[in-house]
Amino acid sequence: MERALSSRLDLSNFLAGAERRAFKQAMFAVRNEDSALDIVQDAMMRLAEKYGDREANEWPLLFQRILQNAIRDFYRRSKVRSLWTVLFSSLTPTDDDDEDPLETLATDVGSDDSTTPHRNAERMQLLGIIEKEISRLPPRQREAFLMRYWEDMDVAETAAAMGCSQGSVKTHCSRAIQALGKALSAKGIRL
Amino acid sequence: MKTFDSTLSDGFQDQLGLAIAARLSESAQNLPNDISERLKAARMQAVAKRKVVKLQSASSVNAGMGTATLTGGDLGNSIWTRLGSLLPLLVLIAGLLTIAIVQEQRRVDELAAVDTELLADDLPPAAYTDPGFLHFLNTTRRE
Repeated sequence: MERALSSRLDLSNFLAGAERRAFKQAMFAVRNEDSALDIVQDAMMRLAEKYGDREANEWPLLFQRILQNAIRDFYRRSKVRSLWTVLFSSLTPTDDDDEDPLETLATDVGSDDSTTPHRNAERMQLLGIIEKEISRLPPRQREAFLMRYWEDMDVAETAAAMGCSQGSVKTHCSRAIQALGKALSAKGIRL
Repeated sequence: MKTFDSTLSDGFQDQLGLAIAARLSESAQNLPNDISERLKAARMQAVAKRKVVKLQSASSVNAGMGTATLTGGDLGNSIWTRLGSLLPLLVLIAGLLTIAIVQEQRRVDELAAVDTELLADDLPPAAYTDPGFLHFLNTTRRE
């Protein structure tokens, strides 16, 4: 006889509640729907296969860790792909080979408007602006901010999920909010 | 209504963070239908591959004289049961090794006895390599 500590329905309910936010998080990070969906699906599969027998209250933290790792794996694969592209292309300058996409990602997102699908409604415009500003954040700041405020994780849980100290989480969150506040304020937006 | 300042207090930062998060939640609820369906399919696929825990259970219940006992179950796969199933194989291997050792010892003893006989005899062992002596032995045996 087989039985899980947490039932299949519990896992399904948890994933149903987390999948949309996870997709958005992945979208903020990779800005590509298909890649974001792949990342979320991969994270769901890993959680179910490896930790499906855990207690349900352990899943949020585990899922966040898995999701962030999946996003980092995507960055690493992108870096390898771009490295090969550079090696085989004489047109591309080679002085930025050692740059980490995690560090440089936030500087080149200005031209991407794919995260603002609903431009007609003012509310949707506002959401689009917020999402774009979040996409502009450096990855670690964005991770900390989203886990801390959107996933409703406390500082210790966020630190555990990010693999850093609680002080770093506070710093990342503070800088993220400062940046978001300034950016939204510059656009005349008040929440 | 919140205004933005370059030096926000912790409490105000939390309020602003939560306000932004609330907007994000609103946005997440308005995902395109195709995305929602693909997420749902991914979720169902993941749930189908959920890891489960195997629990030990009793395979039978013996009842009688007002008492009941649980027997068997997955305990049949315990380490002792596995060791028990390996026991005949171990006995077989030990038996074959014993037979091989005994036979080897017996062969060594036979060779040693022959050597002893040869060395203890008055006739030197080198004589058995002499063709003339072998011919003498054969003719003598026939007679």
